[in-house]
Amino acid sequence: MKIKSSQTVAGFTLSEMLVSLSLSSIVLAAAITSGVTLQKSFAAVDNYFSTQMQQIRIIDYLNRDVKRGLVVTTSVDLQSVTMSVPKYIIQAGDPEAIADPEAIGMARTPTVAYTTSGWQVNYSPSTTTVVYSISGNSILRTENGVITTIASSTDQLVPKSTDVELANTEYANTSVTFMPIFSSSGSVASRSGTSLYATAYLRNKRRG
Amino acid sequence: MRISGRSFEHGNVLLCVLCTILVVSLIGGNVLLNCMTRYNVASSQVRSWKESLDAAETGGDIAYAEVRKKIFDPTHAFSGWTYSGGAYTNSPVTYGQDNLSTTSRVDPFYYDGNGNAWYRIRTKGTAPVLGLKRVGMDDRMGPNTRGDSLLRKIDFNYDHFVATYGPNGDGVGQTLLPVSQPQVSRRVELIAAPVTPFEAAIKAGGTFYGLGSAAYVDSYRSATGPYDPSVKTNPADPRYADSHAGTVEINGSVATIMGNIYGNLYTNGGTVTKKTTSISGIIDNNVPFSLSPFIMPSTAGWNYISSPAVINPNTTITPAAAGSADKPNYYLVNSFVNNGSLTVNPYTANGVPQETYVAVHVTSDIGSSNGQGPSITVPAHVHLDIYFDGNLQTKAENIVNTSGYASNLQFYAISPTDPNIQQTVNLSSGSGSTAGFSAVFYTPSANFTITGAPDITGAIVCKNFYTNGNIHWHYDRALDGQGDAVDYRVISYVEDIR
Repeated sequence: MKIKSSQTVAGFTLSEMLVSLSLSSIVLAAAITSGVTLQKSFAAVDNYFSTQMQQIRIIDYLNRDVKRGLVVTTSVDLQSVTMSVPKYIIQAGDPEAIADPEAIGMARTPTVAYTTSGWQVNYSPSTTTVVYSISGNSILRTENGVITTIASSTDQLVPKSTDVELANTEYANTSVTFMPIFSSSGSVASRSGTSLYATAYLRNKRRG
Repeated sequence: MRISGRSFEHGNVLLCVLCTILVVSLIGGNVLLNCMTRYNVASSQVRSWKESLDAAETGGDIAYAEVRKKIFDPTHAFSGWTYSGGAYTNSPVTYGQDNLSTTSRVDPFYYDGNGNAWYRIRTKGTAPVLGLKRVGMDDRMGPNTRGDSLLRKIDFNYDHFVATYGPNGDGVGQTLLPVSQPQVSRRVELIAAPVTPFEAAIKAGGTFYGLGSAAYVDSYRSATGPYDPSVKTNPADPRYADSHAGTVEINGSVATIMGNIYGNLYTNGGTVTKKTTSISGIIDNNVPFSLSPFIMPSTAGWNYISSPAVINPNTTITPAAAGSADKPNYYLVNSFVNNGSLTVNPYTANGVPQETYVAVHVTSDIGSSNGQGPSITVPAHVHLDIYFDGNLQTKAENIVNTSGYASNLQFYAISPTDPNIQQTVNLSSGSGSTAGFSAVFYTPSANFTITGAPDITGAIVCKNFYTNGNIHWHYDRALDGQGDAVDYRVISYVEDIR
């Protein structure tokens, strides 16, 4: 007799089942949605910080080259920077390297020359050309034809540089922005809010 | 039996809770891991990378200050530094709350035609990377792309630079040098170049009055040919640009300018009182500058010759060796009498005159207000520098520089240590005479006066300037790289990115 009675206790009515199923579906859906949203949010935040680090890296690369640059020129759209830097290190293919392969990677000794523009310090008869440019989602640094990807993100990183020439010096203003992926609106504000600015002066500005 | 049923239900809840905690922990752990990576990069590695450059540049400043002492305080220059192998090195300097350290190495790598040393300053700045030894670089751009490790080289166990290139970066002495803690080192190389004094035709640190109404200041470049008075009014001449560099720089607030200036005019916030002035270049009233007192350069290494010690009438110097710009024949003279006449002949080898370098230090006045005044004659091939402690007074025609190159005859007035003593330089062409000279004068503490209407090729740096004559003044643009160093400036900056 007890068995019958216990079976009655253990059972669920149809309405109970429907209610419980509905509730559990809602809870499960909410949990899954929350999980997915959390994951998306985490990915977005992770990506945001990752891209922010790349902003810093772009700025650091640019500033390092601008500081030692002899001439810095920005493109009309401000998204490409070309600069000449002293050829301080002997590289493969250079005359010194051909004469002595062990010289590759070594620093050059400076030479001094008097020109119509005054005294000039040179490390090599030629200079190294460095170009910063955008290619798709990547920011490229090209040194004498050798391309290095210095930053890459689906967040649409955009560096903009302006070279400002003064009477006695020159400096380059750079701002790097990106569009965070969790910004669905794509508004201008969401990009401008990520701006990172930097100013670097040319220490070697070549006059004349 | 109900108890048993309840126990089963509780276990299910516990399992759910544990799973939830596991999922949340995994997410939290992942977040923390990423946060730590970013934190390491942003707070430790980027910070250290930037601070190491700050330390390297600080080392550059320390070394640059010592280089400048070569001019302003020669006896204390590089005091406490070690000199070995032709280079000065200092002990590590540690500063700041992050224990940044810097070392410098300075070597004179070049001597210009004036004997001035050019210094190469190589400095290393080191900043510790705080925290544990974590290779937490932000290198995750893609499967085949590296990020930070290309840019920021961190030494976790060994100094990679010393191991690969040696301590001086010249491939000598490579060794595994352990580091006490993770660190970032950056290296910069600066070139300190001498600042020569004759960057303008006339440079007055105080007041300026002149020239005569019919006077003019123009310029030329001796490397492209002798002076030609017609060039400055002929734009078609390729030397035209060089003829309009007769710049006048005045650090005073009021400048009375007359005559024609074929060049620029600079003052220090001043008002240019133009009378008959015509200025071909720009007028900039915001060009302040200061002239440091001039002290006698170090004569160490110079070829000292004891005779003559007095310049009398018909005193002739003929050195037994040519000397060089940085090691000239050196004479110490305690008297240059008012009617004294000094002629310096070139050293000859097999009958051929050689470029001869002579320095004369006169510890008294040169000339006085009486009589014809002393004379100085410099034939071709002679490069004569005259340093004098007192005043200089003579007539323009008494200064004879046969070569016509102003840089071959240079006068330096050593600044009095007593501020109450006013040094003077007075040059007179005599009544009606237009005889002139080719010479340069660096007299930053002296009042400089020229009377008459001499024809002058050269440059003058002085305290107060006065002239009322119709001078014809020609500045040789080659002078901007001539003369003794009066200061140093950093003209090259390269980071060693190896």
